[in-house]
Amino acid sequence: MFCLSELEDTVRVPPSDLNLPLEVAIKKALQKLFLDKVLSIGLCVSIYGIKSIEGGFVLPGDGAATYKVVFRIVVFRPFVGEVIAAKFKESDSNGLRLTLGFFEDVYVPAPLIPTPNRCEPDPYNRNQMRWVWKYGDDEFIIDDSCQQIKFRVENISYPPVPTERAEDAKPFAPMVVTGTIDDDGLGPVSWWEACAPISDAED
Amino acid sequence: MKNIIVKANAGALTNFEVLDLLNSRGASKDTTRVIASETVSRSEYKVYDYLMETAASTQTRDSVTKFSDKCKGFKLAKAEILNIINLRPSSDVELTPILEKPDEREIDIEGILALVQELLPPLPTVEAHKENEQEETEDGEQPNMETSV
Repeated sequence: MFCLSELEDTVRVPPSDLNLPLEVAIKKALQKLFLDKVLSIGLCVSIYGIKSIEGGFVLPGDGAATYKVVFRIVVFRPFVGEVIAAKFKESDSNGLRLTLGFFEDVYVPAPLIPTPNRCEPDPYNRNQMRWVWKYGDDEFIIDDSCQQIKFRVENISYPPVPTERAEDAKPFAPMVVTGTIDDDGLGPVSWWEACAPISDAED
Repeated sequence: MKNIIVKANAGALTNFEVLDLLNSRGASKDTTRVIASETVSRSEYKVYDYLMETAASTQTRDSVTKFSDKCKGFKLAKAEILNIINLRPSSDVELTPILEKPDEREIDIEGILALVQELLPPLPTVEAHKENEQEETEDGEQPNMETSV
């Protein structure tokens, strides 16, 4: 789900950092610019390394030094068809929302939850809806108690920044991953534990 | 902010490699996290926490390289090998969603699972989940939970 990307950018090192070794100062500036931000290629997770630094000019009227830097970053960008383990975050009538800790915008829309299913108001939590899968005579609930939920990536989208928003709208998500849990081995891990694994269980 | 993307994809990384990178920067399970916070930021720690709960946390560079070498004999796509390393499936039902059209390609599922068993270390034991929620145990299966204080 991660890959490396090479970027080239102009970086401004503020005067307060000019006493630091050059690479440390540039890395600090890069982290501020890119870490935890979504680019067109995905979510930047970490600065991998700097390949080259050029310049160091001080532009008129500015106390900072400007460098042209070529560097590599670690990007979170799952590929379509990848299976990822996530945790339950919340659910509503449109579907489920899962989280990876560092990335919280994974949505499983209602059509991608195994059928037959039904959605009912959550008895524990007044505002939430709960999804229940009916398989044969058993009913399986999808909620907070599921330790890990595996989903397969269907699509990644980068919605454009909205110009106007309602007051109580959900915080804007610059990167949205749509997943499915409607297949063998997907969905809460506990659903599949009955299937015999090749035993490496410690006894 | 204009930036020029030189290469959008300069190489895929397994979860293990990213975890290794964070480890080499000083990330650790230490809950106070004071020492490493100079080099590892809070958002990087979130990634670290996530990865520590996956198969990547018990893997070694050696086992991952050996595994991907031996996979060449199974006619798998690179993305599938990556996915298998990241998830470490231990049963048929865990492996099938990763593969694309396994029936048409005559993939040796048993062989791949045996190789995973042999070369990739087992998943980390899951710590007991919060409050009173406990994982359901099937008959005869031992719950493997450790509470850490």
